[in-house]
Amino acid sequence: MPIRKLVPYLYLAPCIVMMGLFVYYPIVENFRFSFYDFSAFSPDKAFVGFTNFSNLFQDPVFYTALKNNVWYAVISIVCQVFGGLILAAILEDPITRFISSFFRTVFFLPVVISVTVIALLFTFVYEPNMGILNSFLHGLGLDSWTREWLGDSETAIFAVIAVSQWQSIGYIMMLFIVAIQAIPKEIYEAAEMDGAGKIRRFLSVTVPQVKEMFFVASLITLTGAFTVFNEPYILTGGGPGNASEVLGTLLYNSAFAKDQMGYASAIATVILVLTLLVSLVQMKLFRTGKDD
Amino acid sequence: MKRLLLIGMITAMMLSFMAGCTSSSSSGSNDDTVVLRFFHRWPTEPKKQYFEDAVREFEKSHPNIKIQTEAVLNDSYKDKIRVLLGSDNPPDVYFSWSGEFAYNFARAGQAYDLTKFVNDDKKWSDQIISSQFKPFTLDGKIYGIPWSTDGKAFFYNKKIFKDLGLKAPTTWDELLSVSKEIKKKGITPVAFGSKAPWTISHYIGSLNAQMVPEDVIEKDYNLKNSDGEFTNPGYVKALEKFKELEPYFNKGVNSVDHEYARQLFNSGKAAMGYFQLAEIGMIEPSLKKNLGVFNTPGIQGGEGNPNSITAAPEGIMISSKTKHPKEAMEFIKFLTSKKKGTEQLTKVSEYSAVKGTTNEKNASKLQQDAINLIVNADKTYLWFDTAVDIKIVDAYLKGSQLMLNGKKTPKEVMADVQKAASGLQKK
Repeated sequence: MPIRKLVPYLYLAPCIVMMGLFVYYPIVENFRFSFYDFSAFSPDKAFVGFTNFSNLFQDPVFYTALKNNVWYAVISIVCQVFGGLILAAILEDPITRFISSFFRTVFFLPVVISVTVIALLFTFVYEPNMGILNSFLHGLGLDSWTREWLGDSETAIFAVIAVSQWQSIGYIMMLFIVAIQAIPKEIYEAAEMDGAGKIRRFLSVTVPQVKEMFFVASLITLTGAFTVFNEPYILTGGGPGNASEVLGTLLYNSAFAKDQMGYASAIATVILVLTLLVSLVQMKLFRTGKDD
Repeated sequence: MKRLLLIGMITAMMLSFMAGCTSSSSSGSNDDTVVLRFFHRWPTEPKKQYFEDAVREFEKSHPNIKIQTEAVLNDSYKDKIRVLLGSDNPPDVYFSWSGEFAYNFARAGQAYDLTKFVNDDKKWSDQIISSQFKPFTLDGKIYGIPWSTDGKAFFYNKKIFKDLGLKAPTTWDELLSVSKEIKKKGITPVAFGSKAPWTISHYIGSLNAQMVPEDVIEKDYNLKNSDGEFTNPGYVKALEKFKELEPYFNKGVNSVDHEYARQLFNSGKAAMGYFQLAEIGMIEPSLKKNLGVFNTPGIQGGEGNPNSITAAPEGIMISSKTKHPKEAMEFIKFLTSKKKGTEQLTKVSEYSAVKGTTNEKNASKLQQDAINLIVNADKTYLWFDTAVDIKIVDAYLKGSQLMLNGKKTPKEVMADVQKAASGLQKK
């Protein structure tokens, strides 16, 4: 008898071992490390209790980083999730169907390009003297709009966020296209019979039907927004000053540039808690898996 | 019985997983050949090729030693070397900047004490300029062998200066008035890029040296000193001087890096730039005779040493965890030999720290003049970003970036620096 009970666990074992070793063990260790003060290359650790956390919550840079992450999240939700849904709906409309595969590829292409390549590409776009963005504005006669996009502490973070939107909108769009394709045609036909126009059909049929995907997409973008690292690191390095610092770059700089490993662990713990909270709230809000 | 078998299988599987995760790192060393891991910071040409060739040459003359090279660039090197040295398997031989950067490793017990090697082989070690050992020496022990030496100076485009009827400035005020003239003609006076902010630290280091008394600097930069708090008003003045130059930089300094600045100067679009003497080798081929060099102009009213230069050696260190210190030392001796030192300048335009390696045969007139700037200076200061604690550097550089943006005043920047300095655990 017990053998039958054990078999499922046998199948689960490899996955559990791997997850434990590479995901859960580091999380627990990181949590422990956040109570110590230590350097990457010296073996002794000093227990400091909650000092790392209290320092962190008094650090103005932490709040700058948090604010930037929140901007990241808000803009990503608006642009990627709502924008992606609208794009998907347009591309799935019978009128655009014959060109939609072309546009699908166009929008999806940035997703498959490496973030590093894209970030480097955009340093040329934003370049203040001969970058194409400023040249374009100059060509339109909007010289007063030209900026040192990445070098100005007021625009740096938004310039970085814009790159992420450009890159990721295609991915979210693709998710919604899949969801829309799964909606039964009959519902649309019925709505049409009832005299619903295009916008009405989008609001009353498409949106409620892709609710599940809406949850997935916003979860992806939100957790992505709080764990973002590559784009700001390559484009600005968190600068000028700390203007475009996000939690990810703050963690990296504390750990590897300033060699405050314990402090960095504390930041990592905060990021973990934040992303967990975000997904908990969303699960409650969307009540996934249950029919209402 | 079946159950036992099953449990056995599960345990076996688990064990093999664990084993698979740990065993891969310990292979590769045979009994007779010694494998050394060498970590440097030049994955770019021509230095990458130079080191590959050097390693090959060394392996040929020492058949029992094999060298595995790894390299990452500049800023990443600073991050990665710290992590690697903390691991159980650090590189045997690695590059290091001098000053606080190197002391940090020595203090953490990650650097091998090389004093004995230096004293035992006087024939080799006496060839190296003795002053260059100092920034690698902590508490009387030598932890690094100087490989190259370098200094900071203003480079200028002689053609632009001649066309506008200008002379190379000798004081800070002249530098500003010259810049003003150049700007009027629509040419960028000074090329600068501070996206990677270490470039700021070189200005700050040189300006501090001019504005702040020597003994105060000595105290403040030293990590061991408990009352070094960066409160001298000269520090604020130094930042103000730096800010005076800001209108004459190219547009958007915070969004471009040093390579961009060099390119701007190289192409003749900028009249001046603050570069490292080793960069002559990269600029002279395109500007040819039009390239001139002058020392950082002296500032009136400064309390520091006007005849100082920011200059520092870079060196090679050995990990304290190495199993083959002798072989590692052989390799370092090879790299710092007179023959290699002479080659070094022609091939990669780095000035060797070995005496008499810069001469008419392998150096241009300008390069010889440049090395004399270092030799003739009364006082040399190390690169600021490697001379003081990283937390102070960080406060300085982040603050200065914002100062260049007009978001912070020099006083506010110094307040941040003082805060960082007082927060340090002084030993």
